[in-house]
Amino acid sequence: MFELLIFFLPASLLIIGALIVVFAKNPVHNAMGLVMTLVSLAIIYITLNATFVAMVQMLVYAGAVMTLFLFVIMMIGVDKKEQTSDSIKGQTFLVSGVFLILMSLLAYVAVNSEFSWNLWFPAVEYVVEGTPQLIAGTLFTTWIFPFEIISILLIVATAAAIALAYDSKIRNKDA
Amino acid sequence: MLEVTTDWYLTLAAILFSIGFFGMMIRKNALIMFMCIELMLNAVNLTFIAASKHFGQIDGQIAVFFVLVVAAAEVVVGLAIIVSIFRKQSSASVDVLNVSRG
Amino acid sequence: MDFLFILPIFLPLLTAIFLFLNRRIFNELVTNFFTLNSALLSFAISFFAFVTFALDKFKPISITLYQWTRTPDITIGFTLDGLSGVMLLLVTGLSFVIQLFSTSYMEEDEKHSNYFVYFNFFVFSMLLLVMSSNFLVMFFGWELVGLSSYLLISFWSQKPAAAKAGNKAFVINRIGDFGFLIGLMIILNTFNTFDFHTVMQSSTNISENTITTISLFLLLGAFGKSAQFPLFSWLPDAMEGPTPASALIHAATMVTAGVFMLVRISPMLQHSVTVSIVIISFGLLTALIAAFSAMNQYDIKKVLAYSTISQLGFMFIAIGAGAYVAAIFHLVTHAFFKALLFLGAGAVIHSMHHEQDMRKMGGLRKRMPITAGMMGIGTLAISGIPPLAGFWSKDEILASVFAKAGMQNELVFSIMYYLFWSLTLGAALLTAFYMGRHWLLIFEKDNGIDHSEVQEAPKAMTRPLILLGIFSIFIGFINTPFFHGLEKVLHETLENVEVTHLPEGIALVVLAVISIGAGFTGLIIAFLIFGFELHKRINLEKFKLESPINLVKDLSSNVLYLNKFGNVFFVSGMKNVSRKVAVIVDGLIIDGSVNFISSAFGKTSRITSATQTGLVRNYVVYFGLFLVLLISLFIFTPLVAQ
Repeated sequence: MFELLIFFLPASLLIIGALIVVFAKNPVHNAMGLVMTLVSLAIIYITLNATFVAMVQMLVYAGAVMTLFLFVIMMIGVDKKEQTSDSIKGQTFLVSGVFLILMSLLAYVAVNSEFSWNLWFPAVEYVVEGTPQLIAGTLFTTWIFPFEIISILLIVATAAAIALAYDSKIRNKDA
Repeated sequence: MLEVTTDWYLTLAAILFSIGFFGMMIRKNALIMFMCIELMLNAVNLTFIAASKHFGQIDGQIAVFFVLVVAAAEVVVGLAIIVSIFRKQSSASVDVLNVSRG
Repeated sequence: MDFLFILPIFLPLLTAIFLFLNRRIFNELVTNFFTLNSALLSFAISFFAFVTFALDKFKPISITLYQWTRTPDITIGFTLDGLSGVMLLLVTGLSFVIQLFSTSYMEEDEKHSNYFVYFNFFVFSMLLLVMSSNFLVMFFGWELVGLSSYLLISFWSQKPAAAKAGNKAFVINRIGDFGFLIGLMIILNTFNTFDFHTVMQSSTNISENTITTISLFLLLGAFGKSAQFPLFSWLPDAMEGPTPASALIHAATMVTAGVFMLVRISPMLQHSVTVSIVIISFGLLTALIAAFSAMNQYDIKKVLAYSTISQLGFMFIAIGAGAYVAAIFHLVTHAFFKALLFLGAGAVIHSMHHEQDMRKMGGLRKRMPITAGMMGIGTLAISGIPPLAGFWSKDEILASVFAKAGMQNELVFSIMYYLFWSLTLGAALLTAFYMGRHWLLIFEKDNGIDHSEVQEAPKAMTRPLILLGIFSIFIGFINTPFFHGLEKVLHETLENVEVTHLPEGIALVVLAVISIGAGFTGLIIAFLIFGFELHKRINLEKFKLESPINLVKDLSSNVLYLNKFGNVFFVSGMKNVSRKVAVIVDGLIIDGSVNFISSAFGKTSRITSATQTGLVRNYVVYFGLFLVLLISLFIFTPLVAQ
């Protein structure tokens, strides 16, 4: 019973948060919804024995990335009202069409498999603990090349962000 | 007695992804669209972690790290773009932007 | 000292480069100094090398400078044997004499130094051609002499006629070179080497058809370079170039490259009867047409140009008759007396202030005695008057054709060769006639024009004339029926070749008398018409000869309308065809398809670009559509769905 509770509580929080992200009008509320989603996802990670990933999720996503979002929201202001009617011709039709097809596909799959998943591979008996030692051991041996490449990506992204956000007009005025 | 199995997590990930995707399609604010992208990325992360547990392999969790880094990089660049767009037109709506029109 | 003989090849090239680099610094005097000394040095080295070679009993020397690949054997190599030795001496010697003449003729010309650069470059290319030990190097030389000939013909390129003549020579030569190139390809394919010696050695093992094919293609090259029918019309036009250059290139050396090449491949030629008959008939046709055309020309140089073509025809006749020694002998003697005639004509043109029309000359003998005397020697030599050079060589050719007729097994061939002999004799008679006319019109006939201002050419011009005059008298003695000098020199080169020998005894004397008779007859007719002016002294009208003579004159001055025929038939036909090709193939098909492709791309991209709205949310919808597609793929493909 506790197991079910520990799954369904964060899962429902997660869905509610996601819905807030999509439907809230105030960007700050959207951001808070995202925080809620990310935190409940971290809890779910813990139930999946991925404790280190959960910690990183809390720190990086719910901490750093969200701070960045809020910072930008602060910069561009929250009082701008988004126009409610759709400005692109036929967009509403397309969106509802695509979404309906997607949903009907999912429904077809669910009905076709009689609401039971067939994963083909049975789950293993033992439990893998996502401890820092284990993750680091694999990350710095098997995955060392992707790891290095991803660090290059981060540097490039940082440089790109600076280049994009740099306002030459303002700088010239100061100088 | 119901048992929490891997397919539950996968279903949850699918729901999360669908919500994110739906949000992508209906919202016009670039900022919110980025948040929706984050939702979708997290849905993928969830499947990775679930698969990692299902197969008893640590590699899924390492893939999550990579997704995390890519997401962070994307957010950084994306937000910088939003800021520079906002400077030009004082709105974060993406509908007025069609410079790359074919 | 084996390598000595390749020095004269590269000395002119070095001189050309040196003069080209310093063309703005050097004045005429310095340029003359360098070019003359280098020419003299290169002649001296050639002479020394030739003497060394002669003392070594004419044993051929070969040098390989560079080997590119072993199979197929492609090398850059040179050889000194009898044939190339004779040509080496001839080219370097004449080049010196003619450059000496040029220093005076080209005096105060704007492009004085350019002239000597081109000249030296020509000498280099010609030596490359004659000294080569394989077909490839020969081809290099072959193309380079074409280039330098082009440069020298259109030397005064500000004259439209000169520029046009250069182009014409180049294009017609290209037709020949095309054949030569194909011949080379077949040679490489058949023999796997370019080396003369190997090719000739193994040519006995090859079928006659292959030999004939190769020879015919090479022959096309020889026809182009040596101005044989039907590729001869460039040579008269080439007279637009400076006269000394014409003397060296278009009379003495370059145009004989075809003859040289055919003698070079003579071990191969002798295996093919077809080729021999083709050569002799085309040579004869050329000799007759050119001699006929020379009869009514009034340009002092054009007469000599047609005469050159005609004499080249004689050389081809000799080759066709199998008398390879006679061909080379005539090549050598012709080089001397034709160079003499050209330089004499150059001296006349110089003294007449660039007047080339013979109708405005006449009676120049008293004004220019040395030139007149030397040109008289040249005229007698070319007419075949003994004991001058032309007699010995021309008589040898005639006798060889006659002897060849006697060697035939079948009566038909015998009669054919006797016919060839008599026609050749007719060409010799015509030669004497038009050359006599040439000399008389310039130096003797009184046209009532005052030439009191005309002066003898400067010493720098008359001295080469005298030198060449002496040679024109005595060069014939290198190969007389009593002393086979040239034959000994060429012995190694023509080792396995069956050379047609002269008839013996009384027959030879009779033939000689006949050929002398032909020469004298021609000269006497010329004297009667242009010197004695027979037609004015007797009443011609009762013979009703007016219209036939006019017809002959008309045909002669228009070269039997061959050029017009060529223009109508080939040039304008080609123009029409190429215009049609330009419109239909290029315009409609190629341009059309290209335009269609580009416009099709334009249209489709205009249609598909409608999807590229630039709006991010539209792209999200596309993303969704492809997501649907992907999921359907997973669900409905049997591979995944099981």
